[in-house]
Amino acid sequence: MTTTDIEQLHKLMEDALPELEALIGWQPGYDALHAAPAIARTPEEASRLVFNPFCIHNLARTVAKTPPPPAKEGEAPKKIGVCVKGCDSRSIIALIQEGFLKREQLYIIGIPCKGTIDLRRLMKLAGEDLRAGVKSARIEGDSLVVEGAKGSRSFPLEKVLARRCMRCKYPNPVIYDVMAGDPVIPRASEEEAHKDVDAVENLPVAERLAFWQGELDRCIRCYACRNACPLCMCQDRCIAETRDPKWLPQYMGLSEKFIFHFIHAMHLAGRCTECGECERVCPQEIPVTLIKEKLNRITKELLDYEAGVSTEAVPPFLTFNPEELGI
Amino acid sequence: MSTLDSAPDAGQKIIRIVGFLCNWCSYGGADTAGVCRFKQPTDLRIIRIPCTGRMDPLFAARALIKGADGVLVSGCHPRDCHYAVGNFYARRRLELLKHFLPFMGFDERRFRYTWVSASEGQIWQKVVTEFSEQIHQLGPNPGVEKQPRTCDA
Repeated sequence: MTTTDIEQLHKLMEDALPELEALIGWQPGYDALHAAPAIARTPEEASRLVFNPFCIHNLARTVAKTPPPPAKEGEAPKKIGVCVKGCDSRSIIALIQEGFLKREQLYIIGIPCKGTIDLRRLMKLAGEDLRAGVKSARIEGDSLVVEGAKGSRSFPLEKVLARRCMRCKYPNPVIYDVMAGDPVIPRASEEEAHKDVDAVENLPVAERLAFWQGELDRCIRCYACRNACPLCMCQDRCIAETRDPKWLPQYMGLSEKFIFHFIHAMHLAGRCTECGECERVCPQEIPVTLIKEKLNRITKELLDYEAGVSTEAVPPFLTFNPEELGI
Repeated sequence: MSTLDSAPDAGQKIIRIVGFLCNWCSYGGADTAGVCRFKQPTDLRIIRIPCTGRMDPLFAARALIKGADGVLVSGCHPRDCHYAVGNFYARRRLELLKHFLPFMGFDERRFRYTWVSASEGQIWQKVVTEFSEQIHQLGPNPGVEKQPRTCDA
């Protein structure tokens, strides 16, 4: 995001803030390579909010988990403001569809997004150079330029962007009240977006099993993927943890890991908006989102439905159509 | 049919198929087949569910992960559901699972869903015989564990 854009963003925030209960956005983290979700209530706090390729968190989750305070008597309830990237906006739509959020309670500031950085990829590429003393980082054209202690280094974007951003079809927010900045051209077409799914599907079935055995064997069942998911709404009633019904024992075998990931995936079938948060937070670098990408492709092919695009649509597995045959 | 008629040889793994049958149609259909003394393979273990709408796709997934050799789901014909719409929901979910299982490395032929009414004893016999033969051809489910479990949790 260029300087003018950030000024524009701050202007939009300033204008909106008096009417809002709070504004949820990102603030700078402990160095130039990190940002953190933040809640602003005053103009000073709002002026600290930023947007850059390190604003990797999906704020839809923060909104959904922050219930608005009850309105004062005789007053209309104040709205909650939230900054969204394209992927965050789709999560917001999905949450509105299912009644977890109300559109009229939200003030959405949409930000077109050129992609977010996968810090693990960046660190692997950069080695020790970026461990300390990073002064600034910005996107210039097709590369990420980082001013470090040992001078400036440039990294090609396709080597440091998160996988979800490389296959992003919706860089521009789908739902918003105001838009900060000009729309961005999507990075991937429909076919390219699913090339990782294709790669698995090109394997024979037995090798696919071996692939998932290898990936899921690393799972430590920390449930970070579930906790980061904006649409995992069961939380402490998650059947992966409840004792009644008891779906999973404490035992850490491969079959338990498979069952957990099936639970996570099937509960998101027809709902997942592929924001990629599950994969980002996985400490074991398991391609968790890939499972949901396949489910979404099936849903698209069978039922012609895409999650997080329209607030009016009903998620396909919460409804039915008596006319469909062959299904 | 010879493999079905004779008892499994020593050392040969017994094939286990889990059947989820709706109480109102397919369970009745299986009962009709029994009452009419139609010969059926004995590999099927039937779990009675109130309606295919109760059928969580995870039931089938969990059975296959845990080593069941096949899963057969059967309910009322669409538009004949005892609860009017349960199998319309089920149809979408089961179709999703059918397409999803091969992606995770499970042979799609190990999972089937079908519709059999309470009077269709003969159709039930055909369905269960065909499916059982198919599973016998596939052999035991390799399962997802890479090595034998040390404890049966």
